[in-house]
Amino acid sequence: MYTSTASTISSIKTTISPSPNPNKKETFSPFENTKRLSFSSFKSLKCIHSPPSNPKRLTSCAAFTLSPSLTTKLVPSKLPHLITEFESLSQPIDLVKRLLQYAALLAPLPDSSRVDSNRVMGCTAQVWLEVELDEYGKIMLWADSDSEITRGFCACLVLVLDGTPPEEVLNVTTEDLAALNIGLHGGARSRVNTWHNVLVSMQKRVRILVAERDRKKDFDPFSSLIVSSDGVQAKGRYAEAQIRIKANNFSSY
Amino acid sequence: MDGMALKLPSFKFLNPNISTIRSPPLLRKFSSSSSSLPVSASGTTLREAGPASNSVSLGQLTRPDFPILHQTINNGSKLVYLDNAATSQKPISVLKALQDYYESYNSNVHRGIHYLSAKATEKYELAREKVAAFINAEESREIVFTRNATEAINLVAYSWGFTNLKSGDEVVLTIAEHHSAIVPWQFVAQKTGAVLKFVDLNEDEVADVVQLKEMISSKTKLVVVHHISNTLASSLPIQDIVHWAHAVEAKVLVDACQSVPHMPVDVRDLDADFLVASSHKMCGPTGVGFLYGKSDILSTMPPFLGGGEMISDVFLDHSTYAEPPSRFEAGTPAIGEVIGLGAAIDYLQGIGMQKIHDFINPLHQYINKYNNTIKSEMMGTIYSYILSIYLFLFLMQMELANYLYENLSTVNNIRIYGPKPSKGVDRAALCSFNVKNIHPTDIATFLDQQHGVAIRSGHHCAQPLHRYLGINASARASLHFYNTKEDVDYFIHALNDTVNFFDSFK
Repeated sequence: MYTSTASTISSIKTTISPSPNPNKKETFSPFENTKRLSFSSFKSLKCIHSPPSNPKRLTSCAAFTLSPSLTTKLVPSKLPHLITEFESLSQPIDLVKRLLQYAALLAPLPDSSRVDSNRVMGCTAQVWLEVELDEYGKIMLWADSDSEITRGFCACLVLVLDGTPPEEVLNVTTEDLAALNIGLHGGARSRVNTWHNVLVSMQKRVRILVAERDRKKDFDPFSSLIVSSDGVQAKGRYAEAQIRIKANNFSSY
Repeated sequence: MDGMALKLPSFKFLNPNISTIRSPPLLRKFSSSSSSLPVSASGTTLREAGPASNSVSLGQLTRPDFPILHQTINNGSKLVYLDNAATSQKPISVLKALQDYYESYNSNVHRGIHYLSAKATEKYELAREKVAAFINAEESREIVFTRNATEAINLVAYSWGFTNLKSGDEVVLTIAEHHSAIVPWQFVAQKTGAVLKFVDLNEDEVADVVQLKEMISSKTKLVVVHHISNTLASSLPIQDIVHWAHAVEAKVLVDACQSVPHMPVDVRDLDADFLVASSHKMCGPTGVGFLYGKSDILSTMPPFLGGGEMISDVFLDHSTYAEPPSRFEAGTPAIGEVIGLGAAIDYLQGIGMQKIHDFINPLHQYINKYNNTIKSEMMGTIYSYILSIYLFLFLMQMELANYLYENLSTVNNIRIYGPKPSKGVDRAALCSFNVKNIHPTDIATFLDQQHGVAIRSGHHCAQPLHRYLGINASARASLHFYNTKEDVDYFIHALNDTVNFFDSFK
């Protein structure tokens, strides 16, 4: 009656390398069910990236609004492939094994990045996440965990979302990831749901980064009133408000 | 041997007419035969014939009363539920009590004149009496129903704490407390200026009572302690602690969430001023907990929440408040769930709390009982023979708490937290542990997915304790009386397989 998993392990070992060494050629194809994305596409995973040398200090920030041109929902192109791959795993244990395979491909974050300010709260294991925007405005992700299965979750999210525009990251919902759940960690809204927690945390940080970027773009260094022979002109929102108030005051005289 | 075992005095709570332990439906003394709820046809489903399957255990006898235990999960694994410290399963009688309430007399309590309301009120108040009797409170008005134990502690913090604590006063706690016994006092301390003082663990990984005794001073106004630790499985000498606290006129609040479901708890014996427990950990429904408070203390405490039920008269600018316990039960309570808790208590008392405790706790009590019986020279030859068999069965079986600990200890690279079981050290039937280089969440995930074994992983709402132990998380297997030795055997087998699995990935 007792079943042993050990007997199945040797077969796994023949197809994947447990080595986390990012430079080592892996025989495991992360999207073995989708020929288009074989290991070559996996190179975008952060096992190829080195962790950020000078991680940004993330500061809290107010709301971010999406570009109004975004009328259709964008889903990162790699997500359907990942879902297809996971859905092909009929046994829950196969999902665990697959996640461990992904985990092995994820380079660990240095201790300097495994700090509380990078923690994703709400997971049963510790998860650290770093998000940056690259020079083209695309998302750069790094994630790590002290749990191997959770590292597998992180690796999948990094694989799917790294290098995508911020809007794509912000458009992914927990429901989109529900198909990846396959029996693990309860429903989509469970407080131990790693997909959910990491995604939400990632999106929060993306919003902050985008808001910071946009603020820099329309930076208004000093609100001023420009007085010339043509009259008074306002530069900046505060100055505009001043003009309005003054106008009202003057009109009351 | 089966037939003999049935004559043993330990099992006389069973239906005396049963002829064999292989006929579980006849053993359902604690369940209702008229239940319309789904019940597993398999009755007592033993996983397989383990070494102790010839002996009768409380687990084997009571399993038929818990339909939830008889299911397969995750593609065919039989469920082995070892997360009882988080919540217990509910016997059929509790499910039926809930169904009966909603089917036949659902109504609001305390205010309606009509038949249903009167009946609901009667059953609701009867449940209060059952809780009071269960913990041997002097009167039922010392029992306040809350949503859970957390709310019960918050009630004391907001009502008694804010009224009685001032700057410089000290609250003594241990680092092993559940977050729900720490955080409310942080609120009070932040607003009143009271100081929280924490007792560390001693070398046995038990909250250090020597340090606790020394920490109690004239500044101490309250001591908040667990009865049994939900992580360490250790217990504290509440009577001694109460004695030390009362000597300086401090009050004592006991978090009894892990003790009330597993052993007799006598509040008069303990002499604690406040004691909290939660229904769902003692085979009752979720959504209900209770606060025991001494009458004279409760009656001096202001209300916690405002609303209906807790008032005497309401004017536009002020109100007068009802007497306890109504004063602390604002709004419509969880009526059906409270009645379900009453049914759970009936069930537990049908077994007997001492039997539950003896089943899962140290064997030396049996040996002592046996020796005392011999010394008393009141024992006839037949009785002696029966007792010998009785002792033999338990020696074969060992009590579950130690059985779990001893077997878990054999797993490679394992570290079990809390005291080692020994003479004089009672461990509760739970083990928090870590296996070197494998995250407890990974262990719990694999156990669940591959073997159908439900354990907990995380910090068990005891982060300060985990920090003290130098870990972020641990795995925890926790038993209740319906667990069997076979459950433990299967868990250990599954854990070894889990460790091998993860080791193969390194």
